Amino acid sequence: MSTPVASIAKLLTQPTSGERARQRINGGMRVIVGVSAFLAILPLIALILFVILKAAPYLVPTFFFNNPLDKEPGVLNAIVGSLQLSGLTVLISGPIGIAGGVYLSEFASPRVVATGETVIDVMLGVPSIVAGVFAYLILVPVLGFSGWAAVAALSILTLPIMMRSTQEVLRLVPQAIREASLALGVPVWKTALFVSVRTALPGILTGVILAFSRALGETAPLLMTARGTNAENWLDFSTTMNAMPIVIYQYSNAAGDLLIGQAWATALILMVIALTINVLVRGRTVNSRTA
Amino acid sequence: MATEKRKTENSATGAKDELAQAAARPAAQAAQRASASESDSGRLTLDNVSARYGAFRAVKDVTLAVRPKSVTALIGPSGCGKSTLIRTINRMHETLPGATVSGSISLDGVDLYSSDVDPVRARRVVGMVFQKPNPFPTMSISENVSSGLRLTGGTSKSEIAGIVEDSLRRAALWDEVKDKLNQPGTSLSGGQQQRLCIARTIAVKPRVVLMDEPCSALDPVATLKIEELIRDLAAEYTIVIVTHNMQQASRVSDETAFFSMDDDRAGYLVETGPTAEMFTNPKQALTEGYIQGRFG
Repeated sequence: MSTPVASIAKLLTQPTSGERARQRINGGMRVIVGVSAFLAILPLIALILFVILKAAPYLVPTFFFNNPLDKEPGVLNAIVGSLQLSGLTVLISGPIGIAGGVYLSEFASPRVVATGETVIDVMLGVPSIVAGVFAYLILVPVLGFSGWAAVAALSILTLPIMMRSTQEVLRLVPQAIREASLALGVPVWKTALFVSVRTALPGILTGVILAFSRALGETAPLLMTARGTNAENWLDFSTTMNAMPIVIYQYSNAAGDLLIGQAWATALILMVIALTINVLVRGRTVNSRTA
Repeated sequence: MATEKRKTENSATGAKDELAQAAARPAAQAAQRASASESDSGRLTLDNVSARYGAFRAVKDVTLAVRPKSVTALIGPSGCGKSTLIRTINRMHETLPGATVSGSISLDGVDLYSSDVDPVRARRVVGMVFQKPNPFPTMSISENVSSGLRLTGGTSKSEIAGIVEDSLRRAALWDEVKDKLNQPGTSLSGGQQQRLCIARTIAVKPRVVLMDEPCSALDPVATLKIEELIRDLAAEYTIVIVTHNMQQASRVSDETAFFSMDDDRAGYLVETGPTAEMFTNPKQALTEGYIQGRFG
């Protein structure tokens, strides 16, 4: 017994009821996700606009080149303080974190790798306030409120980032490249350093830059360690230092339009630096993928 | 040429001496490398070699003698442990987690697995070319060739330039790349990359060159070039090549060893003999069946 067969022309051109419903659902979904996407970026746009509008009147040259107690007050000491703290954090946690990542990727046995990865996950999950509390209650009594205590707290946060990113980019290095080196009679450590790490170097540096950016924006640990100061501090990590997040936090609670305006202006500087870093890193990653 | 002079001075040095010499001084090492092609060494003997991945035995009791300065082809169906076997010869097998080797493999009478042979030194004497061309992506053409020398040390910069050219010439690549030595190795075509990898391998002056299906990723023209090269290299090196292509085995090899696997999927040597004989008049029915394309 054969069922009647519709003509091909009819099959192709005559819409069915299910088809109309599908088209309606399609259209509806399109609108829903479109509106959602717009809602998602709305706060970001609002934030950027607000920061720029509120900051603009206060972005005068003296703001960048003077210190808080000067006649025309500025936040130079916070800008240089932030760069010094983040810089030293990366200088200290960078080599250790990268070495740790290299160890996990190139030397460790599978069991050690599994343990190490769990430890990194836990460390990545440490809230910055916890790192701050640790530094405040354990390190500050010994070191005092100081750059060193701040750098220690920030390093707790950046170390796992550095280890993870190093391990991950090394994982992308083809095993065939390592074998090629070993088969030439190159020792394991030289293969790790001059072949694996060398091949993954752009990715490893990207991790360092992102860690720098992360350290730059951290607030809680700094409030509990470096504490902020009105003085300009160059490279004296044994005493208090100013930093942009500290200024933003303290000034926005302060009385007076000037300080609140300077909080906005500092926020804009911090945002521009962080955005620039992220865009640069993105550009690098895209380039290295297409190359 | 300086290297020529050194060769004549050290003409009697063999692989045995090089392996046995515990702490080779850089200068002596370089001299020995230079003399590699002159000595009539490179006899490879496999005795009851088994290779395992954890509990799984991939190669079972292989006993095989490889003549110096000849090409020996390892053929057989997929998964019969040919690649695993050649990776035991340069001690690369043991670099995988859980991988072990038993039995003995000796080169000119020196057991490559004895306690006074460092695996790193064994790999300098037994070079390897892989299935897929694997030039170092961050290095230029000339850096790729010199990588083994630079990373193992003991060769002066002035020597290296000469060795790079010499190795590229031997790998039949010099004329194609002499004007772009500073371009990335990965900018070359697949066939050129494989010849670059061969140049890189012979630059460290090994005595034995292992090739794991070196043409399987290449087109027929590139394959033919590599095959010609293998024939040329056989004048100086002992070559063991794994191939799935039986025409290739018959074209390039002097001896052929046929492998199969038993019920436990462990690879074993069925028979070995001069290539012409293996392809026209094999002793085992299994070999005949495989060669005539009835299985595998």
